[in-house]
Amino acid sequence: MSVSTAPETDREASTRELISPDIPWELIVWNDPVNLMSYVSYVFQSYFGYSEAKAAKLMLEVHTEGKSAVAHGSKEKMEAHVVAMHGFGLWATVQKGGPRG
Amino acid sequence: MAKAFSAGRRGITGFLEPAERDLLRKLFADIITMLEPERPAHEDPLAALIGLDMEVQVPSDPALLRLLPHAVKNDDDSALEFRQLTERSLRETKIGALRAASLSLESEKLVLDPESAKLWAMALNDVRLVLAERLEIRDEEDAERVHEVQDWDEADDVESYLSLVYNFVTWLQESLLQAMLSELTRGK
Repeated sequence: MSVSTAPETDREASTRELISPDIPWELIVWNDPVNLMSYVSYVFQSYFGYSEAKAAKLMLEVHTEGKSAVAHGSKEKMEAHVVAMHGFGLWATVQKGGPRG
Repeated sequence: MAKAFSAGRRGITGFLEPAERDLLRKLFADIITMLEPERPAHEDPLAALIGLDMEVQVPSDPALLRLLPHAVKNDDDSALEFRQLTERSLRETKIGALRAASLSLESEKLVLDPESAKLWAMALNDVRLVLAERLEIRDEEDAERVHEVQDWDEADDVESYLSLVYNFVTWLQESLLQAMLSELTRGK
């Protein structure tokens, strides 16, 4: 019966996803009307170690575009970042990355 | 009146009137109460150690949801799974910052090193997130509406009182952030 082959395919697909280290994930920070621009800049500088200029650019992108992909990398790293962002009170999510930019 | 925070050789210093300290202590305590988990940590010591909580639910209070937001968008299953792994320790991080800020209100003069300034900024931010949810600040226009409430003599209902408290905490956080950013720049 053809049904029995289905789980096998699933397992293979999920294993590939788990072991593949080079799938880029990204951390998205979303705009909200509460968080201060100075605070968002501070978090980007102090937590990620970004320069003042880079932090300002990303902060303005969040503010004007509604969101910004502020970090890229492994799923585990992005998940650690999202917890840290929530610790700071920023509204952030993780997602599988699209084209970099 | 409170004085704006300022960065100096000894760190970041601030001054608050006793009534302002009481207000902040109360606000910090309120948020701590919101964040304290309803159930004790997991009985399995390993699960408790890593903060695993398989029974965690999405908060029904929108203000609590703003403090503990979804980490994955448009995927409730993944978001809940992530919450099971991380929410308990996130609550603890936030409670830790709120307790630290509350504790430093005990001394006459506020003197903050970079780490305690960070904890203060986090605590003030969580207070603002909760007040903003209560005040239904959803966009920049709402924020402007609340910002316009400036006169304590005209605080005759809960909303205008909350607006004034929000504006005070915003002012305090902004002044703290200016001091923190100037220290960051100077440290480079």
